[in-house]
Amino acid sequence: MKTYVVYCHPLPDSFIAAVRDRALSALSKHEVRVTDLYAEDFRPELSAWERTHHLDPPQTKPEIAEYAANLRWCDTLVFVYPTWWSGQPGMLKGWIDRVWVAGVAYELPPGTNRIRPLLRNIRRLVVVTSHGSSKWINAVQGEGGKRVISRALRVLCSRRARTTWIALYGIDRASDNDRMRFLDRVERKLRSLR
Amino acid sequence: MRVLVVLAHPNADSFNHAVATRALESLTAAGHEVDLLDLYALGSKAAMSAEERAAYHTDQPILDPMIAAHVELIRTAEALVFIYPTWWSTLPATLKGWLERVMVPGVALVFDEAGKVRPGLKHIRRIVGISTYGSPRRYVWAMNDNGRRTLTRALRMICGLRTRCRWLGLYAIDTASADERARFLLRVEKRMGSL
Repeated sequence: MKTYVVYCHPLPDSFIAAVRDRALSALSKHEVRVTDLYAEDFRPELSAWERTHHLDPPQTKPEIAEYAANLRWCDTLVFVYPTWWSGQPGMLKGWIDRVWVAGVAYELPPGTNRIRPLLRNIRRLVVVTSHGSSKWINAVQGEGGKRVISRALRVLCSRRARTTWIALYGIDRASDNDRMRFLDRVERKLRSLR
Repeated sequence: MRVLVVLAHPNADSFNHAVATRALESLTAAGHEVDLLDLYALGSKAAMSAEERAAYHTDQPILDPMIAAHVELIRTAEALVFIYPTWWSTLPATLKGWLERVMVPGVALVFDEAGKVRPGLKHIRRIVGISTYGSPRRYVWAMNDNGRRTLTRALRMICGLRTRCRWLGLYAIDTASADERARFLLRVEKRMGSL
């Protein structure tokens, strides 16, 4: 498996950092590339220039070249982040806004409004995340963050791409034991990936 | 009514800016007091910093003076209007990050003794979303319109029981004619005038 892990949390001593470490150890028998958005000081705001030139070839955007190459290389894409306001943190959303551009993730043939996928190499999307609120509240809110990945991004991947969702709900009220069990679940789930 | 309009588009000559201009004119003409936050023009950061995250659960979660000023506008507002392009079925990072940085404990929510979230925006009577979409309406629906759900459900949940949501979407904007855009601006004008 060629695994690309995109990790997003501002604090190195956070629970999500521990989740990432456990995930990486579970994936150690595979080829793994890692992006740590905060450590790399990634700029998440799509600029006016990038917006104006959003359909230009990716060669004109050297800042995103490495991320784009990793996306085209991997067959398994793993996101590790905390869910805030029912979605990806602004930092991670900005990485999606700036890197999943025309020529990398999709093509938009002139005169149409339906995009053509370019990431057919990705056959599995994995999300490891935590939610402050309960599973029930997240269901009522429509699981916005989950659907961004399992729908909006997945349609750009392999036709048979599957999403693996590993989430700790209600982390604000989770005990140490709940957290330990979640780390074990992350490890077990990632080890069983084929 | 006091209305806070939050705009997130990088290009000052964008259609979203035209929407904001029209919304502002219409709201002002209807006698509302209106404030505009053009997040890109203000240089608003999309990423919550490590310091902000570390302060989130403390008594002083706001560190940036600009964010503190925005929080004052939210405290006195009765309606929130969000104007943004939908990217990847949800909010642009600049708007999402702004929400994370202003909607902190003590402003948007309060954690009770059991760690449960209690609403902090009961004074907000209206949430309005105005968004442009590259995709046609059916496709937006199939993708779950996650930005809309973030604002009309997740944010709505920390408002009062009687807070109402309104949504205005221009779909398939890449193939929309000048006439369709003009009609959308007219819809914005009418809806804002009758808020």
